[in-house]
Amino acid sequence: MIVLRATDVAHAYQSDRVFRDLSIDVETGEIVAVIGPSGVGKTTLLRMLSLALEPDGGAVEFDGTDVWSVDDSERLSLRRHIGMVFQEASLFDASVARNVEYGLRVRRSWSDRLRSELHSIVSSNGTADAVRESLEIVGLTEKTDQHADSLSGGEAQRVSFARALAYNPDILLLDEPTSDLDPRNTAVIEDAMSEARDRGIGVVVATHDMHQAERVADRVAVLLDDSIVEIGPTEAIFESPSDDRTRKFIAGELIY
Amino acid sequence: MTVPLESVVQLLPAVVDLPFREGYVWSIISVSLYVSLIAVTLSTLFSIPVAIVMGFAEFPGKQFVKSVINTGMGFPSVVVGLLVLFAVSNQGPLGSLDLIFTKEAMIMSQFVLATPPITAISLAAITGVSENVRDAARVLGGTRLDMALVVIKEARYGIVTAILAGFGRAVSEVGSVLIVGGNITSADGISKTRTLTTAIQLEARQGQYETAMVLGVILVVLVLLVNAIVVRLGDQGVQ
Repeated sequence: MIVLRATDVAHAYQSDRVFRDLSIDVETGEIVAVIGPSGVGKTTLLRMLSLALEPDGGAVEFDGTDVWSVDDSERLSLRRHIGMVFQEASLFDASVARNVEYGLRVRRSWSDRLRSELHSIVSSNGTADAVRESLEIVGLTEKTDQHADSLSGGEAQRVSFARALAYNPDILLLDEPTSDLDPRNTAVIEDAMSEARDRGIGVVVATHDMHQAERVADRVAVLLDDSIVEIGPTEAIFESPSDDRTRKFIAGELIY
Repeated sequence: MTVPLESVVQLLPAVVDLPFREGYVWSIISVSLYVSLIAVTLSTLFSIPVAIVMGFAEFPGKQFVKSVINTGMGFPSVVVGLLVLFAVSNQGPLGSLDLIFTKEAMIMSQFVLATPPITAISLAAITGVSENVRDAARVLGGTRLDMALVVIKEARYGIVTAILAGFGRAVSEVGSVLIVGGNITSADGISKTRTLTTAIQLEARQGQYETAMVLGVILVVLVLLVNAIVVRLGDQGVQ
């Protein structure tokens, strides 16, 4: 079992503190939802967990390694065990297949990449299978050869999800992945989260949709007032929160 | 590309009575293309990495460098010609290379002229690429080089436009290539440093307007051809 853990991390943007003494962990094969109002720092936390942002204090560990105590190349290899999906799909100006295989492509050697460029875009060596499997999970195999520009917003986000799944990360971070989506596309993404968990991937989903957290998560972390005020099993958080702020937030009594 | 051009050149005497020696027109086309294509290739190899570094990195004096590049776009070509002439003249820092009135000196001046527009337009295209796309490349496991390649791909149309703008500036240049190249033909009338533009200037000055007009048409056709080829390559090269 692999664990991604942030311990007592802090971050300030210029002189404004975003959060402090924040601790959270996720292990492979579970879904952890981070809930909290907009602007509370969920995206910043996910950027930190994706190893893109160094904490001002505290530590981030992946599989027991303090990621900011190792050199860049080792951190890159740790980073490659983690996937992330943003609120916006952020697809590349290329075909769906080309987008989905990107993570696999950058993991190959330059000579191998050049060779496959000279042959077909998505050649053999398992890449095509991984692309197809990922697109199957989000129900878009028929779009494989289409250009990313031709997709609807919901489809683009589903491709973005498939792109992060294709290289089979240990941990998948999702930043408000369904906030701009209709109920049908939201349901597809939520099913894909469960599928990812069943494949042994640890999922962290940041959302302000508490119903979504209740539907999909095994554990919930409540991010309020510049720290995580409570983390625990979903049912316990929603049925009997131990922190009064959590209770008020879930009841909609806390206005931000 | 050479076949249709050659046949056009061969047909020219049938259309207009040209007082050209055999091979004259082709030699000035060759000099024009040789000088401009090499200058623009060198400018592109220099400009794109500079634009990427400026687009990605924050460093002291970045705004100043940007201002210098933007100023360079409007830099008078005759002044560039003069500066290159001083550089390659016997007393200049490059005097020992004996480059005065050579194609290499012309390449130098065209390089100086083409680099600012290629850098500035590429930079605008690169900074116009959404930060989300860069972030996506990074979180998907890309290295810095992968991120740069993604940005270049996303900005490819702007970069192609930049290269074409640089080529346009180089191939249509008269003042500086006249100063550093000297508009020279050899004894048999074959161009050594004469380009289409300097030939047009010479013909017009001598009252040979018809000839100048024909050379002008050839120049425009050349520019159109190069534009078409570069746009096509830009489309195909990065699917």
